[in-house]
Amino acid sequence: MVSEAAIETADPGEWVVPLSGGGPEYEDAVRRLHALMTRAAGRYVATSALARSLGGATRDDIIQSSADEATVDVINKLSTFENRSKFTTWAYKFAILKAAVEVRRATWRERSVDLLAIAEPVEEGASPHDHAVTSMLSNALKRSIDTQLTAHQRRVLVAIVIDGIPIDVVADRLGATRNAVYKTLHDARKRLRRDLVAQGLIEPPTLKEAAR
Amino acid sequence: MNRPMSLTGHAIEHLSSDFEPWLSCDDCFDQVDQMIEGLALHGLPIRGAFRAHLRGCPACREEARALLTVVAEDAGLDVAGLVAQFDEFVLTR
Repeated sequence: MVSEAAIETADPGEWVVPLSGGGPEYEDAVRRLHALMTRAAGRYVATSALARSLGGATRDDIIQSSADEATVDVINKLSTFENRSKFTTWAYKFAILKAAVEVRRATWRERSVDLLAIAEPVEEGASPHDHAVTSMLSNALKRSIDTQLTAHQRRVLVAIVIDGIPIDVVADRLGATRNAVYKTLHDARKRLRRDLVAQGLIEPPTLKEAAR
Repeated sequence: MNRPMSLTGHAIEHLSSDFEPWLSCDDCFDQVDQMIEGLALHGLPIRGAFRAHLRGCPACREEARALLTVVAEDAGLDVAGLVAQFDEFVLTR
């Protein structure tokens, strides 16, 4: 077990060279890397609001499996490290990604996710927001969701934005990647926004906003 | 089978916001270490397509915030202050 104090975080040469070689230096570097990955995964799990609903054993399993998988990923992708950040920062992101995806999956594992039930706009006046200042925009959005999006775009958008299902869980249920689901979500929002701009309900982005 | 849909204020704001320019989750992952270090260690703002992606993708945003926390702890920096700065850069209009 490597203590936190022993974890090197500053010098890329401390990592890239030994992890690229073999022998005792390689073994030692792998042990140190695994400790680093365990710390990053543990930090994510300790601060994640979603993870609080999981039992201690499940959280520990997620930390260990994430650290194991991230260690392998970092070693396999070592040739892609370009010194644009510290090695430790680059490596941390693999452990955080693994832990975050596993926490989302574990949290939603027992919950029913019915992506085939296409959400339909409620009748006007049925939502509390119909009485708010945003009622016009809300009703326009409901119409746009119903008329401007494909069934697939509607399922993804409703699941993520309205039902609050994590994108990784939606991707799993659809047998797709996070990247592909985000592209669907992005295109759907773009269609909605274009429709709202055409109706004069919102302003198109200015050049200054687009460059921010 | 269909089901009714109602929109919260948060959903309305999200659905009527602009998330251009486009950046994929994979590209966000490629850049996140550099961008987060830029903010934590050099005070650089989060801008452009990377910012737009973090605004539009709660999963990538949560992971970037977690990375910032670990990097700030390593460097002995003010974690809460940096996270607040991150949220301000990403989430304010």
